[in-house]
Amino acid sequence: MNDVTRRGFLGGLAGVAGVAGLAACAGGSTAPASGGGGGQAGTAGQIEFWSNHPGTSKPVEQAIIKKFEAANTGLKVKLVDAGQNYEEVAQKFNAALAGGQLPDVVVASDVTWFNFALNKQITPIDDLLATAKVDTSDYVDALFNDYNFSDKHYALPYARSTPLFYYNKDLWKKAGLEDRGPKDWDEFKAWAPKIKAALGNGQVALEMADGSNYLDWYFQNMAWTFGGGYSKEWTPTFSDPNTIKAGQFLQGLAKDGTVKFNKSPEADFSAGLAACIMQSTGSLGGITKDAKFDVGTAFLPGDGNCPTGGAGVAIPMNISDERKANALKFIAFLTNAENTVTFTQATGYMPVRKSAVDLPAEKAFLEKNPNAKTAIDQLAKTRSQDNARVLLPGGGARIGKGLDQVAQGQDVATVFKGLDQQSQQVFDSQVKSKLPS
Amino acid sequence: MTPPYRKHVGSGARLSNVQSTQTQVPDRSDEVTGPPAGGPPPPVGEPPHRSSGRRWEWTLAGLLLAPNLVLLIVFTYRPLIDNFRLSFTDWNISSPTISWVGFSNYIEWFTRDDTKTVVLNTVIFTVATVGISMSLGLLLALLLDQRLKGRNLVRSAIFAPFVISGAAIGIAFQFVFDPSFGLVQDVLARLGIASPDFYQQSNWALFMVTVTYIWKNLGYSFVIYLAALQGRRADLDEAAEIDGASSWTRFRRVLMPQLRPTTFFLSITVLLSSVQVFDIIYAMTRGGPVGNGTTTLVFQVYQETFVNQRAGYGATVATVMFLVLLVVTVFQVRVMDKGSRK
Repeated sequence: MNDVTRRGFLGGLAGVAGVAGLAACAGGSTAPASGGGGGQAGTAGQIEFWSNHPGTSKPVEQAIIKKFEAANTGLKVKLVDAGQNYEEVAQKFNAALAGGQLPDVVVASDVTWFNFALNKQITPIDDLLATAKVDTSDYVDALFNDYNFSDKHYALPYARSTPLFYYNKDLWKKAGLEDRGPKDWDEFKAWAPKIKAALGNGQVALEMADGSNYLDWYFQNMAWTFGGGYSKEWTPTFSDPNTIKAGQFLQGLAKDGTVKFNKSPEADFSAGLAACIMQSTGSLGGITKDAKFDVGTAFLPGDGNCPTGGAGVAIPMNISDERKANALKFIAFLTNAENTVTFTQATGYMPVRKSAVDLPAEKAFLEKNPNAKTAIDQLAKTRSQDNARVLLPGGGARIGKGLDQVAQGQDVATVFKGLDQQSQQVFDSQVKSKLPS
Repeated sequence: MTPPYRKHVGSGARLSNVQSTQTQVPDRSDEVTGPPAGGPPPPVGEPPHRSSGRRWEWTLAGLLLAPNLVLLIVFTYRPLIDNFRLSFTDWNISSPTISWVGFSNYIEWFTRDDTKTVVLNTVIFTVATVGISMSLGLLLALLLDQRLKGRNLVRSAIFAPFVISGAAIGIAFQFVFDPSFGLVQDVLARLGIASPDFYQQSNWALFMVTVTYIWKNLGYSFVIYLAALQGRRADLDEAAEIDGASSWTRFRRVLMPQLRPTTFFLSITVLLSSVQVFDIIYAMTRGGPVGNGTTTLVFQVYQETFVNQRAGYGATVATVMFLVLLVVTVFQVRVMDKGSRK
């Protein structure tokens, strides 16, 4: 009986394998020989695009895809829901790398792309861009260079944002301040007593996100403005006297009650509870809609010290050259001037092309939305983020925790020294050996 | 290795686990359960004409068991073993290469500063949620077992949160606990008390997720206890009452012993689901404030594996957690077993 079962079982298996084989043939018959392996199969002419639809952009993505298909006969794009946020997309991509079907295009955030590049799982796109004759000089430099690793680019900027300084114009007026943001953090400190005097019950001068909600992203601006930063290349610089000074500045603001930390400062700000906040440009739409006062926007304090953020689109390494070429065609289309305008107007992200602002559609939009213009003007002054935050695994969470400790009164030098050590340790154990020497 | 997802299928899977431990009571004869397929041959003394019937029985048993066994092996045991293997590596979740690091992950876990915080968070959260949701569940079940007007409505109201997704509850409860415009803040303000900042102070944050979790899961203990109460023997209670037992004595000496299997079942299922909480913490605090203010073991697994990209270390935490839960559950079974033999 045992024998019979085993034979039957094996027979069944063979049957299943046969069917799978047929299916593979049907799928791959016209694709170039790709050396087997589930990851390499794929339907000829079909581009699979894994996205989390940043900024609830699914309809916009679909519209752009439709245009792409009309312009490129023979190519079809399949939009796949690959998660609710960047982390989920990265998890799904990781699972695919372990043996599933690879997509042709995947959304990768500023924090997730590097690990894939480091492990040679997304492809450098410079040669593909050159072959396709895409003019990369039109991409906003800081945004394009965010994906630069050992002289190669690993993604094109797609849904990109920066922090913005939002202020309550009514409160500003009451405090007798000029209608603009502070030039730097010293000026803000000088303004603080005036702002506080104008505050009512339950209101606070400045609100910032806490360490679990990307304070580490916003604080980069403060650290840079004071002449410090999280790292220089791969060397952590938390213990740099200027970074420590920035930490002490933040702590000082917390101690005298000027700043309050919150899970979602934009909610308090819209409700009129905070005179000003640092928030992503992505919140502009929501804040404008919810606030019952005049919302002002300005560059972050400290001219030119604005970090970038958000996500790009990347192409997996282990797919055929033909698939890569098609994928590149699609991402170049997705991020061209016209489409970046469509996409960003619908979502609140930043146009990733320099020429985008010259398009009539964008000009009209900016005229109607002066606050959106602030964000775009600031874009020219952005700076790529420090490695210790975006390229070291767990960097954001690690720094966020340290900043929470600083905000709650722990000794800045001690906390930052700890961050130096931890960052160095992560670099040594997880990144160093994989870097090209 | 699969922390966030396992939880959702968890309650069902755990139910069947417990049932299977109950069916494995040793005093059942081999005749009934039969040895597993491929085990020892049937006893020799059997009359020959029954053998083809037996054979058919075995085949049937095999056919019926196979789908479950295959699913268990593929989705439970294989990942378990895989996870164990990974805990001895430095895999970074996307690298094609893996290298063995021996026990260094375990050594790191046992010596790291944050381990103490995470374990303490897990213990406080678990003890509070299991203790409170079970006793409160029993209390409410006793109350709503009486003939009260509108009790069906109240019963549904208590059970309803259990079927809502944890992530949705986590988001909704932000409006309850928000220190500037939340419900709690409003109530406290009317009493002239300043609201604590539930999101920035570690202890309050842990309090907040614990309360939210209890609110969501209270309905489960409540419904199971209610069902047990409805199946209890009223005659015993009446007899005790006639004998002049006080209501406390009747509760302790007559009712509780009857509820023992239910309490046992709940203590295991509630404990397991509490230890595996993920959704509420993810939605409300992301393990913060101050990095690990509300980080429990399961959340640490997620954090290390998917945020810090240290799948090896994450697997180590998961393995430690698995072993601890195994010991605790075996201990629970022992204690309950001893109690029932008295």
